Amino acid sequence: MKKRKLLGGVLLLTLPWPVGAELNVQVAARVVSFLQPPPNGAVQTAIVFEPGNSVSEADAISIERAIGGGVAAGRASIRTRRVPISSLGALGNYRAAFVTSGLRDEQAGIAAAAARGSVVTITSDQACVQAARCVVGISSTPRVQITVSRAAARAANVRFGSAFLMLVKEI
Amino acid sequence: MRSCFSIALLLAGAAAPSLCAAQTVDYSALADLMGEPVTTSVIGKPQRASELPASAVIITREQIARSPARDIPGLLKSFSGIDVNRWTAGQSDVAVRGGVQTYNARLLVLVDGRQVYLDHYGMTNWNLLGVALEDIQQIELIRGPASALFGFNAASGVVNIITRRPSDKASLTASAELGGHDYSRIAGALQLPFSDKVGVKLSAGRLREDERAIRAPLLAPEMVPDVQSDHVAGSVTGRLDRTEVTLDGGYAENRQSEYLPSQYISNQHYRIGHAAAGMKHDTDWGGLSFGTYANWLHADYGLTEGAPTRNPNDTAATKFSNRIIVAQGSALIRLDGNNTLRVGGEYRNNRLRSPAQFSETVSYDVGSANLMADLHPVDAVTVTLAGRLDRLSLSQSGAIVQPAFDAPSAFDRDFTRFSFNAATVVRMGETGQLRLNGGRGYQLPPLADFGLRIPIQTPSPIPVFIAGRPETRPVPVWSAEVGYNQTIGDTRLETTAFWTRTEDAIATPGDGLQLDLLLTPAPLLVSRIRAIGNYTTYGAEAALSGRYGPLSWRANYSFTHTDQTLPPVTVPAPFALSPQSTTPRHKANLELGHDAGRWYVTAIGRYTSSTRQFAFTTTPQLLLVQVDEAVALDARVGLRVRPGLELFVAGENLTLAGGAAVSPIPADRRVRGGLRVSL
Repeated sequence: MKKRKLLGGVLLLTLPWPVGAELNVQVAARVVSFLQPPPNGAVQTAIVFEPGNSVSEADAISIERAIGGGVAAGRASIRTRRVPISSLGALGNYRAAFVTSGLRDEQAGIAAAAARGSVVTITSDQACVQAARCVVGISSTPRVQITVSRAAARAANVRFGSAFLMLVKEI
Repeated sequence: MRSCFSIALLLAGAAAPSLCAAQTVDYSALADLMGEPVTTSVIGKPQRASELPASAVIITREQIARSPARDIPGLLKSFSGIDVNRWTAGQSDVAVRGGVQTYNARLLVLVDGRQVYLDHYGMTNWNLLGVALEDIQQIELIRGPASALFGFNAASGVVNIITRRPSDKASLTASAELGGHDYSRIAGALQLPFSDKVGVKLSAGRLREDERAIRAPLLAPEMVPDVQSDHVAGSVTGRLDRTEVTLDGGYAENRQSEYLPSQYISNQHYRIGHAAAGMKHDTDWGGLSFGTYANWLHADYGLTEGAPTRNPNDTAATKFSNRIIVAQGSALIRLDGNNTLRVGGEYRNNRLRSPAQFSETVSYDVGSANLMADLHPVDAVTVTLAGRLDRLSLSQSGAIVQPAFDAPSAFDRDFTRFSFNAATVVRMGETGQLRLNGGRGYQLPPLADFGLRIPIQTPSPIPVFIAGRPETRPVPVWSAEVGYNQTIGDTRLETTAFWTRTEDAIATPGDGLQLDLLLTPAPLLVSRIRAIGNYTTYGAEAALSGRYGPLSWRANYSFTHTDQTLPPVTVPAPFALSPQSTTPRHKANLELGHDAGRWYVTAIGRYTSSTRQFAFTTTPQLLLVQVDEAVALDARVGLRVRPGLELFVAGENLTLAGGAAVSPIPADRRVRGGLRVSL
């Protein structure tokens, strides 16, 4: 039993961070401030989630808790509102969207809605960025790494400043 | 330069357009984003501190605010591979990986990209930077030659001082301090946004403190003034869509006792002014930046005691007037997602006027072109290549001071030098990094080394002069290093082994009387500033830093060994240059900090092994003076009375270790207290 626990511990340490890791909201908010043209004032940001999906809902709660009444990022103040997956048509009312984990099957629809509404999509799910369905992927451990999908950004007509792009990984 | 930009635009056209748009570098915002400091000082593009292709130190605004140090050399001295000699209370020199000497001309110091080192001697007067500590965003020091990016004089390293960007909120940061040795300092920076597009920044500072006690047998000036330093500076920044324009100007003044390159001690008075204009513009393929600035310097050397007030008097001083104009431009081009190219060009005109040189004016023009490529052939490997070509044309004009020691045609010289840097960084796992880098930089002879002509008082019946040589050549500095960095949780390990070779090192005559007899037709004896030999330094640096809750800690160790092929240092020493004697072999620093919110404490223990430093005695004779090993303790305790108001007490060299300043003049203890306001 002890051996099994030890093995489990070792595996936990050596395995890559799980896909469903929570979004680092502070970093995500700052990413929004590097959009061009720079956002100013209150920036309504969607939390795209799937009701009934426990992973997605937990992520949404976590994001809401981190944002609280709003997070300042540059000249912008990021405020969030939940957008269920069934209401993606409303995504065009937002400049940015935090895409919760556990929405693998919905990513194509989210990407299409984001492209129609010129919305920057930000997620902790690197697979979404690799598939060019999310614009920005953020991983926080062991250190902050930001990945930007050029194709997804182009599809959504999203632009970032050059200094930002030189610090992130563009795919 | 025109052709450079043509190349840049051609390359830009060839490259696939990428996503980037208008944005200049906001160091604070980028650091907040990435969770670590960001710099552009290594290769000209923004990079994370943990991914740099060179060994570097970045001191953040928060570290500056909690440090016991009262100036920039004081902040730098507790990092590995950096030697800080506080020769007098006012005069400090910063050397990177050996080569310690006064008026160090091997370190390029910039404030927001504008050079602040003084071209007449190629030296940095750290009390004349014209910048308040309260206005600094971060201080970046790159170890090793960086001439491929910055040109001449980045021979052993670069210090780039980045001031705060204009904010959209009005703010004031100011300090008022009083201390022992008649120390007083008041300084601050004020930010005033006029709109969301235009911001104004003003900064000013005033410093006074007594000189250290200079005791026999060391030679001291007849009158030793206190250190005085004042500055005022201002800038206006305008942002419009993709473009940011900055206009900047300032004035600074300083008076202090200093050891000259000959190690003779005298009193100086400096006044400087600058005007600068810069423009940054982001495009779909990268960024363009253009800038021009002019620096003016008036320096009086050898202040004496004036009667009847006994105030320092400059009527008998040797006067220098230096003016430099620089125009530079660069294009940073994103070739694709992760590869970057930088193309740049620069022109500078540098002019020194003085009655103490060959003719009224000695000057040079330099035209430069540089190219940098930052490439990622595979995901875990980064290759950086940079090269720069500088062409310098030396000249002189105006009345020639008689008797002359050189033919006027000797000043009609051109020379071309190529500097380069190359680095490979291999990522080892998620947080490890192996780095191999090296390069060749050049130290340009200061203007004084070409045309200086100063009579010196000796018992000799034949007049004796110290003079420069128009034939003096730039000093090549070669460097190679291997480094490994690893981050584990909140702990970071940095290790580096380095090798640096300096060829044809230039030195000012001491009292060795290596004299040339000239018949003009009257006989004269001339002792020349000249290249006297080579030296090599090698060693290792290791640094650990971390944080655990409110506790932070930082420890480092440096080993530096020097081999030299230079004239002997036995009495009488012909030249005041012996890095083997003057560079500490071992240095170690330990910093512990605790920030409990309402109060904080920072303590730094510093060990420096013994050295010998040049100084003239009252005889007068140039000697190597023993400087004992030292264990010094610096500390600062701060109490945040309420948000934006802090009271503090700070002290340097609390252990009263005589060798802590690494100067022939023993270090004393300096304690001060004051308040800091952030509104």
